[in-house]
Amino acid sequence: MIGSIEVRGLSRTFHTTVRRPGFAGALRSLVNPQKVAKHAVSDVTFSVAAGELLALLGPNGAGKSTTIKMLTGILTPTAGEARVAGVVPYEERERNARNIGTVFGQRTQLWWDLPVRESFAILRDIYEVPKAEHAARLKEFDELLDLSSFWDTRVRHLSLGQRVRSDLAAALLHDPPVVFLDEPTIGMDVVVKEQVREFLRHQVEERGRTVLLTTHDMTEVERLAERVVLINHGRLVLDGTLDEIRRKFGSTWQVRVTLADPHTEVGSLPGIALLRHEGPQAVFGPDGPDAPTVHQALKQVIERYEVTDLALDEADLEDVMRAAYVHAEASHAETAAEGA
Amino acid sequence: MASVLHGWRAARVTPLGELHTPPRMTAVLLRLTVQVVLVASLWRGLYAHTGTTAGLSRDQAVTYAVLAVLASRLRELDQSAGRDMVLQHMHFGTIVYWYLRPLPPQRYYALRALGEQLYGLAWALGGYVVCLAAGVVEPPESAAVAGVFVVSMLLGQWVLYYVMLVLDQLCFFTIRNNSAMLILIFAQNLLSGVYAPLWFFPDWFITLSSFLPFQATLSVPLSIYVGRIELSDAGVQLVIQAAWVVVLALFTRWVWRRAARRVISQGG
Repeated sequence: MIGSIEVRGLSRTFHTTVRRPGFAGALRSLVNPQKVAKHAVSDVTFSVAAGELLALLGPNGAGKSTTIKMLTGILTPTAGEARVAGVVPYEERERNARNIGTVFGQRTQLWWDLPVRESFAILRDIYEVPKAEHAARLKEFDELLDLSSFWDTRVRHLSLGQRVRSDLAAALLHDPPVVFLDEPTIGMDVVVKEQVREFLRHQVEERGRTVLLTTHDMTEVERLAERVVLINHGRLVLDGTLDEIRRKFGSTWQVRVTLADPHTEVGSLPGIALLRHEGPQAVFGPDGPDAPTVHQALKQVIERYEVTDLALDEADLEDVMRAAYVHAEASHAETAAEGA
Repeated sequence: MASVLHGWRAARVTPLGELHTPPRMTAVLLRLTVQVVLVASLWRGLYAHTGTTAGLSRDQAVTYAVLAVLASRLRELDQSAGRDMVLQHMHFGTIVYWYLRPLPPQRYYALRALGEQLYGLAWALGGYVVCLAAGVVEPPESAAVAGVFVVSMLLGQWVLYYVMLVLDQLCFFTIRNNSAMLILIFAQNLLSGVYAPLWFFPDWFITLSSFLPFQATLSVPLSIYVGRIELSDAGVQLVIQAAWVVVLALFTRWVWRRAARRVISQGG
């Protein structure tokens, strides 16, 4: 399907040399190097529908970038299969290149000594984009990213925000249906971040591009992602919507209500536990794995009781993801212990 | 035709970078002027009390040395300032973009090098015209010599392109190539005759040099220009140059494939 990403049992193992400690160890390593296998990605399966924005999350070293590299065709998997817009990326790298746009936040694809517009012209030529189409797209990107205020400046003189905006435009100038963004807003100020998010939202909603985004910025995930895939130690830990993830790991929401009648008999509701009740004040929280979302809980409480005031304490996504990471770590340790 | 021209703008990368940096151009102009003046003075001084040495007259030696300085400009551009050396792309991880575009890395590299060499040629030609007008260098003996020189120079630049490419390809396997680059620049300058015409070296050195590609880059075309290699012997030299082009083309093609395998096994 045009624009979709299919990943089935994708694995990648790197073989590295272990350096033994000390002088004697270093000598031994020189004569008899000890190789170890590191499983960067293990049996990862997920899919991204055309026109969907998926956040690929995980702590540092989880295997996010390795996954993206396999999907862009610059890394061959050890096992499994991937298809990006119907193309196996590591088998047809050049064909895949026409279907994808890529931004690695820390690395620029622009030419350091040239004005941004010259870089765009070189890319237009490389991707064989017709002149009129290129001009129209550049105009559209300029309206969204304010590129014309600096596109005659040499890349070496751009600020980080200007550089990343230029890189984003460069990655999309050939109109790819699929876009891979590896921490695109890292180190940027909030104003530019918001501008970039708006641009990405426009690309997904208006242009129907499929976006696979890795980031550590949970605000970004909250504002942009419909779905999240969480990987840790190279394994897929979770694949679901933000609501599902909140339900599973974000059990810290609380609804505080002030009852109109302090003598009302208050009790738990389906999936909602009564945590405290003192006079007119009652506090509810999630109860068990089938607890409703905070918004559903709010609706239930209001429908059941007459309240004069209410307050909501919701764990933000950062807390939720922290809980998910901790849970994943614990599961990994458990599996490792069982294996031993 | 469209396929042939595909990605041609990559050839503009280095020249445009230079044109956008006037101080760099001023520095090149100054360096070139000083080098030409010093080299011409040195060789005139060396020949002050002698007639013909190593088969070269004073004018031939000065012409050879000055042309060697001008020709060395062809590929000596400051790519490091533009963060566009293969070494830097490996270091910053931006080499991945070479493999993320619908233009094979080897084609991109070749186009970029072509732009550099054409830009360097403009400098060399400008310097040549000035030196010719000032009487620092002698014109070629005949139109035939000029024609054979142009063909030989073209082949020499082709060999030089491959020699530089081998060095850059080394980065794919060692990440750094600084030491190799220093050794190569010295070897290239020494064995191609930039420091001094090879005719001044002992026979064993000339024999050794004949097994390496360096003299095919500069020494052969310049020797043809100054008449140290007769037109009757030039054919053999052109064949040797062409043979180096073929050998190095096949070798670098093989290395490109291995480099690509390395990039896709390490992920850039």
